[in-house]
Amino acid sequence: MTWVNFFGNALDPKVGGIAFFGIFLSLAVFLIGQYLFKISNGFFLFQPLFVGMVLGIFILWLLAKWFGVSLPTFYMSAYKPGGDILFWFLNPATIAFAIPLYRRNDVVKKFWLEIVLSLIVGMVISLFVIYYVSKGLGLNNKMIASMLPQAATTAIAMPISGATGGIPAVTAMACIINAVLIYALADVLIKVFRLNSDPVGAGLGLGTAGHTVGSAKAVQLGSIQGAMASIAVVVISIVVDIVVPPFAHMMGLF
Amino acid sequence: MASNQATKTEGTEHEAAPILQQMCIFASVLFVSSLISPLFPKSFPVPTPVIGLALMYVLLASHIIKLYQVEKMADFLISLIAFLFVPSGIQMANSLNVFTDDGALTGVMLIVTIILATIILLVVISYTTAGFMAISRKVFHKSTDVQ
Repeated sequence: MTWVNFFGNALDPKVGGIAFFGIFLSLAVFLIGQYLFKISNGFFLFQPLFVGMVLGIFILWLLAKWFGVSLPTFYMSAYKPGGDILFWFLNPATIAFAIPLYRRNDVVKKFWLEIVLSLIVGMVISLFVIYYVSKGLGLNNKMIASMLPQAATTAIAMPISGATGGIPAVTAMACIINAVLIYALADVLIKVFRLNSDPVGAGLGLGTAGHTVGSAKAVQLGSIQGAMASIAVVVISIVVDIVVPPFAHMMGLF
Repeated sequence: MASNQATKTEGTEHEAAPILQQMCIFASVLFVSSLISPLFPKSFPVPTPVIGLALMYVLLASHIIKLYQVEKMADFLISLIAFLFVPSGIQMANSLNVFTDDGALTGVMLIVTIILATIILLVVISYTTAGFMAISRKVFHKSTDVQ
């Protein structure tokens, strides 16, 4: 275990985590992703976030094997202390989306009723579609309940999932995969489903499906998309809070 | 574009506020939000950053905080979002077992469902919005042009 200690030991409360390795690894794999994305002329599988995630897990897996410990143990002791520091910055980064939202306050004032109605009705339709798709793919009730609240931000989706008979860890995983997918595939999906003709709809969709990462993508597409994705992040979380528990109850999931 | 220019001029009236002041505004909004968050009941969780986003918007809309006081910090943080999500992605190393616990087939189906759910959410929400916009336009004769 001494070599593992070299990477920081969060498991021993007296030593505490050493954060340098986690921060270094996160930056290194993300920059490798950016480099690959650049030299492949923007191939979607080389999106920096996706490369960073896969490469990061692979490197941790290799090192865990090298030191003869399990992957979760090595993750907890070596990566998590640094990862948690970076993770914290998602808090201020989330509230930063109030700024692109306020910049297009004209659109918010004009369409607030359409926005709120679209998110509520769209969410209910999505819940039905997701329910029947998961049922069709043969998932059990526990897994289906874990799939329903994934449009909300992780901090809301996890407790709702637990309260409706789902597995919070699966829901958290779904939220992460949502964000990674939307960041990688947004351009393709927008083209295929012709979402660009309606910037308000595209923005709300990106914020709902991709959380804050989807909003960052939407900001790149345009100021209206960015503002709409920002408002979607807040409103859809509240909608999930209100709509998912009765829906799960109605479908007999708990 | 008119409003874009309006915000531009609003921004150029003042130099951007010093970065420590901008950080302090972000920190205070987060701190106040973290005090509000526990007031919500357990069955209706509203986490700190969601309250913070709403609070920051209200402060901007009521002109208590001006754009030049937060703009630079916000643009910087938003440009970092994809990177800040790397630890969440790598965090999956800790719980990869949820995909294998109920057998490999369930795991694959779970991933397929998540991929489909992502696309469903994007498309259904976007099309629903387009529908409501069409209703506003055709039934209530409201202009839905935005630039």
